[in-house]
Amino acid sequence: MSDEHNGFHAPGTFVLAIIFLVTFILLWLGHAKWLTDIWEMY
Amino acid sequence: MSFEKRTCEISGLEIEKNSESMIKLNMATAIIFFAIGGAAGLLVLLTRWPAIHLLPVEWYYRWLTAHGLLALLVWIIFFEVALVHFGSVTLLKSRLAVPILSKITYGLMLGGTLLVVVMVLGGQADVLFTSYVPLQAHPLYYLGIILFAVGSLIAFIHFFINAVVAKKEGEYKRTLPMVSFGIMAASIIGIMSIAHGAAIYIPTFLWSLGIIETIDPSAYRLVWWGLGHTSQQINVCMMVACWYGIAAFLFKAKPASEKLCRSAFVLYILFINVASEHHLLVDPVFSTWHKIVNTSYVMHLAVLASMIHAFAVPASIEMGLRKQGYNNGLFEWLKKAPWGNPAFSATFISIVLFGFLGGTTGVIFGTEQFSIIRHNTWAITGHFHGTVVAGTTIAFMGMAYFLIPVFFKRDLIMPGVAKLQPFVYGTGITILSITMMAAGTFGVPRRHWDYNFSDAPFGYQFDSTVDIFMGLVGIGGLIAVVGGAMFVFVTLGSIFKGNKRA
Ligand code: HEM
Ligand SMILES: [Cu+2]
Repeated sequence: MSDEHNGFHAPGTFVLAIIFLVTFILLWLGHAKWLTDIWEMY
Repeated sequence: MSFEKRTCEISGLEIEKNSESMIKLNMATAIIFFAIGGAAGLLVLLTRWPAIHLLPVEWYYRWLTAHGLLALLVWIIFFEVALVHFGSVTLLKSRLAVPILSKITYGLMLGGTLLVVVMVLGGQADVLFTSYVPLQAHPLYYLGIILFAVGSLIAFIHFFINAVVAKKEGEYKRTLPMVSFGIMAASIIGIMSIAHGAAIYIPTFLWSLGIIETIDPSAYRLVWWGLGHTSQQINVCMMVACWYGIAAFLFKAKPASEKLCRSAFVLYILFINVASEHHLLVDPVFSTWHKIVNTSYVMHLAVLASMIHAFAVPASIEMGLRKQGYNNGLFEWLKKAPWGNPAFSATFISIVLFGFLGGTTGVIFGTEQFSIIRHNTWAITGHFHGTVVAGTTIAFMGMAYFLIPVFFKRDLIMPGVAKLQPFVYGTGITILSITMMAAGTFGVPRRHWDYNFSDAPFGYQFDSTVDIFMGLVGIGGLIAVVGGAMFVFVTLGSIFKGNKRA
């Protein structure tokens, strides 16, 4: 196996990574929403 | 070079005599302090649990100081000193270059620890582990920290001495093996971080003696976090090195691109110190430019490094298991992975929890706009129990399960308990971390004996959901304490009473 070009030797991890990134973005956006909600209270 | 060594029959590693005894000593000491630090955590937990509110106020702060120091500093760094020896001697098939240095390290660190513990529990240092001025402790407290720091500094320097000697004696060719490389990155960061420690603790020590008149609180915080945050990156690096190590030992797994992973370690070295600014985002004296450059830009380069590792290690494990034939579908490798081996399960749990709990929240809370509403709430405490406990501590637990049979030549006792332990501890910490963050979201402060301000002239009533979260923190914490105790029984039990191997 060559060192390069072997990303898809680990498709399971690839899927896990996508799940992670989507969660991450949702949490981040959730925080932003919550922050603006607080701003609007004042 | 010839020197006294043996070959370990479980791992095939060559174990050199002098380093062996130091690794054993440091590991056992780490675990003993983990036990005491955990007990301190339990006392603090039971005090923050409104239904119990165990300790009186002074003792809450005393035990909280002790918990922060014993868990974050003493357990972690003694274990790291063991890893420094492992990475610079065992993995390089070399010898301990200057055995006396290891002994000095151990003596200074143990002496410093004892001094600090006596001062804190004697009521002479109610300053929490950050000891922000103008809070002042007894001079011997600062001296204890300085001794501990000098001891660990010597250990980090010793890494390089060992590595150079190994290279000279031809034990490795061009570059260090991956795991040693990670421990080397940690050692570099360790030296940087202790330089900040010296720059802040020596003046503070002199101030406590009355030799220096005042210390500026903002300057203190800036330099202190050069130590406090940077040292967290020692922990991250060591944790990642353990991930690669366990993946390699159990599955002969290799990252798809070692070059990429090595450069990720370099990113840590280059950028982590600036990220320490996230502790100062609420301090008025630093300029906005300074804060934004550090936490909105540079920080992400360090985060990038963590993401590279956190994807590379599972990918290498997946590739290793697929080679063993677990090739069906996306996740057969994961289902058939050796979940009954606590070295593996702890490692995997550490990767997942560090990413989801510690990593995501670290990036979010480290953004300037979010920091302002999260600062000094329990959300922060929830965050770092996701990094340094769910991440580093659980990774070290996995490493301990691997190293104890190798170095003590004894089998693990109570294998059934060991098998469950990472899951119990991981579950407890997950609940603790998430519910602490939830309570913090409602504004519950960290480091607070009476968050309802019941004696204050103007009371404050939190939203009633907070009560539920406070109770859940208690329950999660108790589960974690059980998991922590299981670890201590299995490891210390194995060290002293495990079945001897030839
Ligand atoms: C059984 C496991 C543990 C439990 C139940 C636990 C619980 C707690 C609690 C309740 C607090 C108090 C927060 C406050 O009142 O503001 C705390 C603080 C803290 N814990 Fe833990 N903890 C555990 C393990 C650990 C470990 C293993 C580490 C380090 C590796 C750690 C590091 C810290 C630090 C640094 C603080 C902050 C102290 C401060 O704010 O001065 N904990 N923990
Ligand atoms: Cu930090």
